[in-house]
Amino acid sequence: MDEQKRILLVDDDPDFIDINRMILEAADYAVDEAHSVPEALEKLSNATYDVLILDLMMEDRDSGFALAYAVRSDERLRTIPILMLTSAEEKTGFMFQLSQDQEWMKVDDFAAKPLKPADLIARIEKLLGRNADQ
Amino acid sequence: MTAAAPSRILIVDDEEIIRIGCQRILEDANLIVDQAENGRAGWEMIQQTPYDMVLLDLMMPEMGGLEVLDEVQKYDDKIIPIIITGFATIETAVDAMRKGAYDYLPKPFSPDELRTKVNRGLEKRWLMLQTEQLREERDRNLLELTNEKSRTLTLINCMREGFVATNRSGQIVLMNPAAQHMLRLNREKAIGSAVAGLFGNPELEQKIAATLETVARTTTVTHMEFKASDARVLQANISPIVVDQGETLGTVTILIDVTEDKKVEQMKSDFVSLVSHELKSPVAAIAGYLNLIIDGLTGGNPEKERDIIVRSRDKADSLLALINDLLDMARAERRGAAKVRAPLDIVPLLGESVQFYQNDARSKSVSLTLTAAETLPQILGNSDDLSRLFANLISNAIKYTLANGKVEVSARMHEDQVEISVSDTGIGMSGQDLEKIFGEFYRAKNALARKITGTGLGLAICRRIVQDHHGHIAVESQLDVGSTFRVTLPVYKNK
Repeated sequence: MDEQKRILLVDDDPDFIDINRMILEAADYAVDEAHSVPEALEKLSNATYDVLILDLMMEDRDSGFALAYAVRSDERLRTIPILMLTSAEEKTGFMFQLSQDQEWMKVDDFAAKPLKPADLIARIEKLLGRNADQ
Repeated sequence: MTAAAPSRILIVDDEEIIRIGCQRILEDANLIVDQAENGRAGWEMIQQTPYDMVLLDLMMPEMGGLEVLDEVQKYDDKIIPIIITGFATIETAVDAMRKGAYDYLPKPFSPDELRTKVNRGLEKRWLMLQTEQLREERDRNLLELTNEKSRTLTLINCMREGFVATNRSGQIVLMNPAAQHMLRLNREKAIGSAVAGLFGNPELEQKIAATLETVARTTTVTHMEFKASDARVLQANISPIVVDQGETLGTVTILIDVTEDKKVEQMKSDFVSLVSHELKSPVAAIAGYLNLIIDGLTGGNPEKERDIIVRSRDKADSLLALINDLLDMARAERRGAAKVRAPLDIVPLLGESVQFYQNDARSKSVSLTLTAAETLPQILGNSDDLSRLFANLISNAIKYTLANGKVEVSARMHEDQVEISVSDTGIGMSGQDLEKIFGEFYRAKNALARKITGTGLGLAICRRIVQDHHGHIAVESQLDVGSTFRVTLPVYKNK
């Protein structure tokens, strides 16, 4: 196996950070965490990550969107694959779908919380594989 | 003809023989007959006695027949005057008739001629009186009708609901002030106008038109909701005006402002989705933790597994706390008769709560003290609710206070109210948190606060309890210095 891939987990719910961290670490990823948008931006400017896992609704309704947008607007960061996690269908009554929303969501994958460990790993591997092809 | 009272007739003539002759003939016909020998005497009698008819000789001393006729006409135009004249010329007769005489008798006349003309005159008078009576009755009915109409109109105009009636061509015939206000229309201009294009709401206009067209049944009511121009939500109930034969004469539309109902509905559904989200989070976390064990991501490490199980248990506990808070909130919502209220002393209740949380405080190395005024007036309240209020405030204060901090509870009079304050030397809040802290599921955003568990309902419950006791709750806080919650409650006044 080549060098360890680095993943940044951004979520304001400490349980999900912990759970996903354990899943990812068990799959041999290096995991870093951020609990807010400013903290995530700070980490992104100081280190390089291979995948970003974002919670859609931190603090305010759309902070996940805002962060995804900031990443996509940054020359250095724009190619980092983003997996957006959300329990949005609970809160808004809408189920987001990648095909329809990808254009303005500017993320690479989209999944409802909570994700089963195998599902999370499969999605991360897919994102990394696609990134490697480009 | 005159079944009730016999008619009364006055004969005015200077010839006695005529007076006596006429009296005899008319009395035989069951009439009451008086005599006057000249115009002046006759005129005086007319003013004293109600006569149905006067027989007037034209040529008399003192006051002539035409003069008396003139006065009688002015006095009472329903007295029938008949002229008796010895100069049976067409001119005098025409003159008398023009002056208002009903008929004339040329001298000499036969008893039959007299009877016929008197009878005809009396019949005329009876018809006049009947007509008069009918007219009075009709006027009275009309007055009642007008009153009834204005009463109905007053009722319609006082309705809080909008009322719009159209005729069968869809023109507005009636619109009350409430409808005018709701539809932002000028009533004067709207009445008589066609509905189409008037309301600025094609759907409403179309539904009114459709109601006119459909085969009408009185039970048919069309409901619709729409947004008025000022963002208020109106409900319209449109029904046809149907008469006996099933013919539609027009429509009646009742408009109800349901803006507030809609807001409450929205708040309810917002709250339900908010609660669902809050309930889902801990359950999702528990499922996530259990998946770690099931998928073997702990590598069989018993310590790791135990840690995960403990976290799951904590999540289950917090879920339980949340459900309890929701139940408490529902209880705090219940107002009125279901709540037992009694005059009570605040200090012992506060004392119990402070005592209850001493252990918690001690385990965090936080000092918890109560300072209360010697005597405080009683307040009217529900002791369970107030205990819950104090418990929430005190446990919150301890929760957000770091080791070696202080929580001070005090009770005293402030102006004419009892004031309870809970101060801590905790992590405090920023200004933007202060505004929202009493809202449901709001939790202060603070790096330190993130580690502290809570349902986000505690202070919302506090606010409801305080409001239910007609009191006031406020908070002052400074980040990293501490917070003070103040509750003021009105004093119980016996009578």
